Amino acid sequence: MQDEKPNALKRCWSTLRKPSAKYSVLTLLIAGVFGGIIFWGGFNTGMEATNTLSFCISCHEMRDNVYQEYKETIHYSNRTGVRAICSDCHVPKDWTHKLIRKAKASFEIWGKLTGVIDTREKFEANRMRLATDEWERMKASGSRECRNCHNFDAMSSELQKQTPYKKHMKAKEEGKTCIDCHKGIAHHLPKEYEEPED
Amino acid sequence: MKRHIARSTLLVAATTLFVASPLVQAVDADAAKALAKQNNCFKCHAIEKEKDGPAYKKVAEKYRGKANAEARLIEHITSGEKAKFPDGHEEEHKIVKTSPPKDMDQIKNLVQWILSL
Repeated sequence: MQDEKPNALKRCWSTLRKPSAKYSVLTLLIAGVFGGIIFWGGFNTGMEATNTLSFCISCHEMRDNVYQEYKETIHYSNRTGVRAICSDCHVPKDWTHKLIRKAKASFEIWGKLTGVIDTREKFEANRMRLATDEWERMKASGSRECRNCHNFDAMSSELQKQTPYKKHMKAKEEGKTCIDCHKGIAHHLPKEYEEPED
Repeated sequence: MKRHIARSTLLVAATTLFVASPLVQAVDADAAKALAKQNNCFKCHAIEKEKDGPAYKKVAEKYRGKANAEARLIEHITSGEKAKFPDGHEEEHKIVKTSPPKDMDQIKNLVQWILSL
């Protein structure tokens, strides 16, 4: 005997495929536009909320380790009062790369749940691995997040000290980007890290 | 007897001086290197090789046996005084920063490590 009642999924799908006999096209259009705005706005607002400094340091792993180190650096406090927060350096600005980074970062929740770096000792034991991952990400993007604020062409030979200016211009010629030379500028360097010989 | 007492007193005084003296503090080479790394010292200096700045071994050699060596090097890395570069130009030497800030024990350890090379 054949099943006379289709299951819930089939019924739902068949309802969705039927043209509306009750609502006008205009009503559906308005509902669609406003629904879309609310969904998109909510999604982006939620994503931006995860870009704030307070969100990043809501985990004690960040608050007790890298945040304390960052507070002693020029990216936190400086003469001109411009501050770069975590997301300025660690999250891409453009939407596509940001979404990819956020999707990858969601795997870090597993690390949080399993307590991979939940003590100072564990954090230090993993510092080289964590730093290397981030340096590789920055290298792959040509230090894109640094370059949101810093630019070889905007460096003044009069205002920058002679030695760093020469090194910057040489790096530009060689196709290097910021992360090739500037590691550990906002956090402590891993103890295993060795400065490469020139 | 008097000579024995005098010898004992001298021995006790010498032991006390030895234990209390800050000069006998061992240099923490790992901590010194970590501070140098964090401050990018190795961008301009190396232990043996000449770079934009002199090799640390050469610095140690220059100041060996000089009474003011430690104070002179501390002044050099904390005051931002001018340093001469190989091409002859002069530039302010970077001020070494510590965490927590201005921790003179860390600065002294770094200088003592350089002088010990």
